[in-house]
Amino acid sequence: MKRTQNIDLGAMRKAPKLFAFKPLALAVTAGTLIGCSDDSEQAKIYTSADECAVNNPDQVEQCQLAYKEAVDEAVKSGPKYSNIDACVEDFGRQNCASYTSSNNQSFFMPLMAGYMLSSMINGGFRSAPLYTSYSRYSPTYGKWSSTDGNLFGSTRNRNVRVSNKAFNPKPAIKRTMSRGGFGSTISAKSRFSGKTSRSSWGG
Amino acid sequence: MFRSIIKERPHWRESASEYGFSFHTMHGEAYWDESAYYQFSLQQIERDIETPTQELHQMCLAVVAKVVDDQQLLEKFQIPRQHWDYIRNSWHAQEPSLYSRMDLVYGGSGHAKLYENNADTPTSLYETGFWQWLWLQDQVNAGKLSRKSDQYNSLQEKLINRFRVIKQQHPAETLYFSCCKDTDEDRGTVQYLEDCAVAAGITCKFVFIEDIGLSADNCFTDLDNLAITWMFKLYPWEFMLREEFGDNLAQSEVSWIEPPWKAVLSNKALLPMLWKMFPNHPNLLPTFFEDELKNSQLINYVKKPIFAREGANISIHLAGKEVYSSPGPYGDEGYIYQAYSPLPAFGDNFTLIGSWLVDGQPAGISVREDKNKVTQDMSRYLPHIIL
Repeated sequence: MKRTQNIDLGAMRKAPKLFAFKPLALAVTAGTLIGCSDDSEQAKIYTSADECAVNNPDQVEQCQLAYKEAVDEAVKSGPKYSNIDACVEDFGRQNCASYTSSNNQSFFMPLMAGYMLSSMINGGFRSAPLYTSYSRYSPTYGKWSSTDGNLFGSTRNRNVRVSNKAFNPKPAIKRTMSRGGFGSTISAKSRFSGKTSRSSWGG
Repeated sequence: MFRSIIKERPHWRESASEYGFSFHTMHGEAYWDESAYYQFSLQQIERDIETPTQELHQMCLAVVAKVVDDQQLLEKFQIPRQHWDYIRNSWHAQEPSLYSRMDLVYGGSGHAKLYENNADTPTSLYETGFWQWLWLQDQVNAGKLSRKSDQYNSLQEKLINRFRVIKQQHPAETLYFSCCKDTDEDRGTVQYLEDCAVAAGITCKFVFIEDIGLSADNCFTDLDNLAITWMFKLYPWEFMLREEFGDNLAQSEVSWIEPPWKAVLSNKALLPMLWKMFPNHPNLLPTFFEDELKNSQLINYVKKPIFAREGANISIHLAGKEVYSSPGPYGDEGYIYQAYSPLPAFGDNFTLIGSWLVDGQPAGISVREDKNKVTQDMSRYLPHIIL
């Protein structure tokens, strides 16, 4: 066979994928609370960017960016439901909201209850969204949970020691001095073609 | 190799929107054209395209190895002097490449001839790796094509595997994807590569070329002011080296896909160098620099700018007369002169083969058709099969 054997068509579709939330309450996995492994680190949990800023007055920008990253990550990889009842069953009433994706598909997601933030030595940081459930029947009831269902203890707890696999690593924040230093040739050349919308600049 | 008429899949436009293939029609004209397909024999694919592609690629790399350490040649390739070390270092450090596409003249018999090597920013990737693959599957399932039909196209599989390999040098790093604003085609191509990288387990983020920032300590940044350390750019090196941020490239320490040495591999000055180093090779067309034209004995030739895209600024000269020329904004950096070898005609269509490589491995073909003798950006894309 001279062609690709198999393509995951589900992964190629641009509509968002729906999946059910499966809390790993009893499973001990790499992302859960751990004891004294070398790749663990201390993380703090905040319920909002403001709360983070009040506790870290010298890191206001980092708090806001970490919050934004967590929200983005939640939309990208958080639990999604096609109907609100299924979401409420897992996360409780008043804890689910509807979203509409860029290709007009509607779905329901639990609200982000907080985010986990861990500062790194090089000035960078890691953040991750957290959920909690108000449904007594859910293993996540009163506990922090990550997008993939790992539990991080009671929501009263704001300091956790976690495996750094619990985070997507984030690079260092920089002070950007200027933008637009790439792309000038293209705008000069595209004036030649006179097209209002251009096609490829590849080859 | 022949052209065959086939019924279009009844719902392919709905399917295109479901999969996010947004540029099948551009400027009101069809770009993806499944009213026909090309059929090849396995021998035509393997003997006439796959094997020569592999060999041509190795020859091209031999030219790069020679050029990066030769100041006179770097000048001939129009590489700005302040970037010579940058490009040389990238070559000697063997910075990994991802993909390229060689344009070949081939009509089903004889030797395929190399037109040019799009080794830096090749497009029509999504159409090749995914969309024509899906077309074959649909048409076979609908009973319109034989179950024995195959396709020379392992592009997606090889891209994902290549990303897995490159990832080993970048554990836990975010790979940025970038292209220019206002082009659906480029955005679609970059999205496809991002899909392949995600399938390889890489964390990805997108930023437009025009939005890239520069920090006080020489880091390139995204719109969140986060440092960019690893980036795929669908934007040619010949432009980047000459733009405002070009002087910060060496210090920014970004790992680029494609790497800087592709500025040499994708350069049209490669073609006369190939002819010099491998004279009379069956897959090469005689090609010369401007100062060699007089003694070249070329009578019928095509004049191409050293830097140009999408068939712009090309002219055809037959027995001393210019018989065709395409307009465009390129040519300031000089021209090369390639023996005239017209594209094969199938009906009233001129057909060009794009032969893909992932790193050094041949990975499939794309077929483009044009009513014009010079393939331009509005030529149509047709699927193919092997039977």
